[in-house]
Amino acid sequence: MSVDEFDPAIERLFARAPAFADSAQFEADLAAKLNKSSRFRTMALSVAGLVGGVIAVREVLSVDFNFASSSSSASAGAQSAGQGLTMAGVDGAQAVQSMLDRLGVAGMDLGSMGGMQLFWATAGLLVALLAAGVVKLSQEI
Amino acid sequence: MVKPLRDLHDVELAALSAAGGRREFGELVRRHSPAVRGLLRRMGAQPALADDVAQDAFLLAFEKCAEFRGEGTFGAWIKRIAARLYLKRRSKDARYVAEVENDDVAPNVDSVGRMDLDEAMKGLTEPERLCVSLCHGAGLSHPEIAAAINLPLGTVKSHVKRGLDKLRARLQPEPVAHGSASHVG
Repeated sequence: MSVDEFDPAIERLFARAPAFADSAQFEADLAAKLNKSSRFRTMALSVAGLVGGVIAVREVLSVDFNFASSSSSASAGAQSAGQGLTMAGVDGAQAVQSMLDRLGVAGMDLGSMGGMQLFWATAGLLVALLAAGVVKLSQEI
Repeated sequence: MVKPLRDLHDVELAALSAAGGRREFGELVRRHSPAVRGLLRRMGAQPALADDVAQDAFLLAFEKCAEFRGEGTFGAWIKRIAARLYLKRRSKDARYVAEVENDDVAPNVDSVGRMDLDEAMKGLTEPERLCVSLCHGAGLSHPEIAAAINLPLGTVKSHVKRGLDKLRARLQPEPVAHGSASHVG
């Protein structure tokens, strides 16, 4: 075998994968790791979604109240048929509020932080986590 | 009609894996994990470390499956990922380019003096082993190897050449000189 022919032969030897007796165990371990990381991700996303959802509902609710009261004033000023619609909006908002009250979410005291403060703190935390993930991924490759 | 997994091409399996298909990715693991584990061991990793890095490589490949578009083979792609992960892991521990010769141990050879590739690789120095494995096992070019292990290009070429020379000598031992005696008389 000449030197020129040798490289392809080496490549063929390298391409020939060795057989491992514990291949099934290796595959099972890897599948377990995949499942574990997937569970963790699902849980983290669920928690983040829940927290974000609660905060979003609280914020929307407060905006709705302001909107409802301002549109009530406007409607009262106009004294027109829009009053009925405004009242419906207020009723809807009150219904959502009472439902959240029943669930104990609307009255939830999230420490001494206000809604917006909590929102920004959570957003900052998520951004930090995302940045850490990107950094770690960039280190892997 | 849905084709069984074993009938699907790697590119199809990778596309399905990118969409979250774990069974499809499992088939890719079944097909390529022996090659990846073998490559890492040939690069000099101890079996436990090799398997650990191989698993990390497959986990990373699952995350990045969408980036595999089938320009090369999936096997080459995953081997490159694994090789780079192993180099990164090693670089955390120590500089792996120290010019330390391996201890001379008696190699396992067959009845006609040949040994298999894994056995022959043990006769190479660590840098030679890395360079030959990365070149012929992971498919990296010489400049890519030089960049990956932070060595000058000329040094990488020398390591590859010396490593191949050693492998050639070990895989194809010189025939026993029997010609001179047979011609006598």
